[in-house]
Amino acid sequence: MSGYLPIALMLVIAALIGLISISVGFLIRPRKPEKVKLSVYECGMPEFSDARQRYNVRFYVIAMLFVIFDVETVFLFPWAVSFDVLGLFGLIEMIVFIIILVFGYFYAWKKGALEWA
Amino acid sequence: MEQLGFYILAFLAIISSIFMITRENPVHSALWMLLTFFSVAGIFVQLNAEFIAAIQVLVYAGAILVLYLFVVMLLNPKSKGFIRIPFRYVLGIVASFVIFVQVLLTLQSANVIGKAGVYTQEAYKQYGNVKLFGYELFSNYLVPFEVVSIMLLVAMIGAIVLAKKD
Amino acid sequence: MTLQHYLALSAIIFSIGMTGVLVRRNLIVMFMSVELMLNAVNINLAAFSKYLNALGGQVFIVFIMAVAAAEAAVGLALIIALFKNRPTVNADELNTMNG
Repeated sequence: MSGYLPIALMLVIAALIGLISISVGFLIRPRKPEKVKLSVYECGMPEFSDARQRYNVRFYVIAMLFVIFDVETVFLFPWAVSFDVLGLFGLIEMIVFIIILVFGYFYAWKKGALEWA
Repeated sequence: MEQLGFYILAFLAIISSIFMITRENPVHSALWMLLTFFSVAGIFVQLNAEFIAAIQVLVYAGAILVLYLFVVMLLNPKSKGFIRIPFRYVLGIVASFVIFVQVLLTLQSANVIGKAGVYTQEAYKQYGNVKLFGYELFSNYLVPFEVVSIMLLVAMIGAIVLAKKD
Repeated sequence: MTLQHYLALSAIIFSIGMTGVLVRRNLIVMFMSVELMLNAVNINLAAFSKYLNALGGQVFIVFIMAVAAAEAAVGLALIIALFKNRPTVNADELNTMNG
């Protein structure tokens, strides 16, 4: 339990650095706002639309595949750590697990979910 | 020390989840939920579940939250009509509070009544959390583990069919 | 730290999640609140797992996380499909099935 003290300390210091640098900058900087200064690119091209426009659905499909295979990796990790105890039986279990998920992978491939063009 | 950690983490979790359900912008909700996930991960560390804490950050904060943010940005819904009917607002809070009090009343006498297992603090120290976890998962929970793969397959196919309608 | 501390924390977070589902009308935020409730259940399972010296609870947390990932994938795909037909994420406006 006490091994986590450095991690907690690091989190606190990280939060403090962010907080202090932002608040010091907020307190001591001069504030003279004008229209050109407040624009998105002060010395660049004029902006032409809002940043929050709609994305393509393809991004969602990729993110969804990432989530599913992320969960699969989560199951792989403890298997790898305790592989020396599990032996051949564990290997067969994991092969069955992966074969079932590979079906989904090929389905996504065949449906063109991985294509970008 | 442990108590202080628990109270800080619990306070963070509760405050951030309250902020999560009260923010009007869904992106702000998602970011407050990130803080909730991190504090719950800290609580998992306190409960001798280091592997679960790592997975909490990896799967919930890393993957599921990204999916939510993607959908918020994908749809970019006009956030209007946060709460239109105050009656529903009151009713929802009252119903949740009643359930909460009921749970608390039940908790007063709650205790561990099962037979204690073999995975004590010393066992964790000797073998490590992940190794014991892997052994338990792949020996005693074999069938649920294989069923999870089928569930993930079905979820993947279903999501592709729903989202990719050309 | 006793078992009751963790169970009380879990009950509080569960109630907040339930309030979110009942009060909010934005479908995405309602889904997020469901995730919050699942997290509360995870705290419960981990607490019992510690105080019973058993690992079954932790194993089930991983299963719950897999279910949450599958639920998020399919549920958000449903919201996207719904949004294509009617551009709204307000649960009150999606009442065509309301007899």
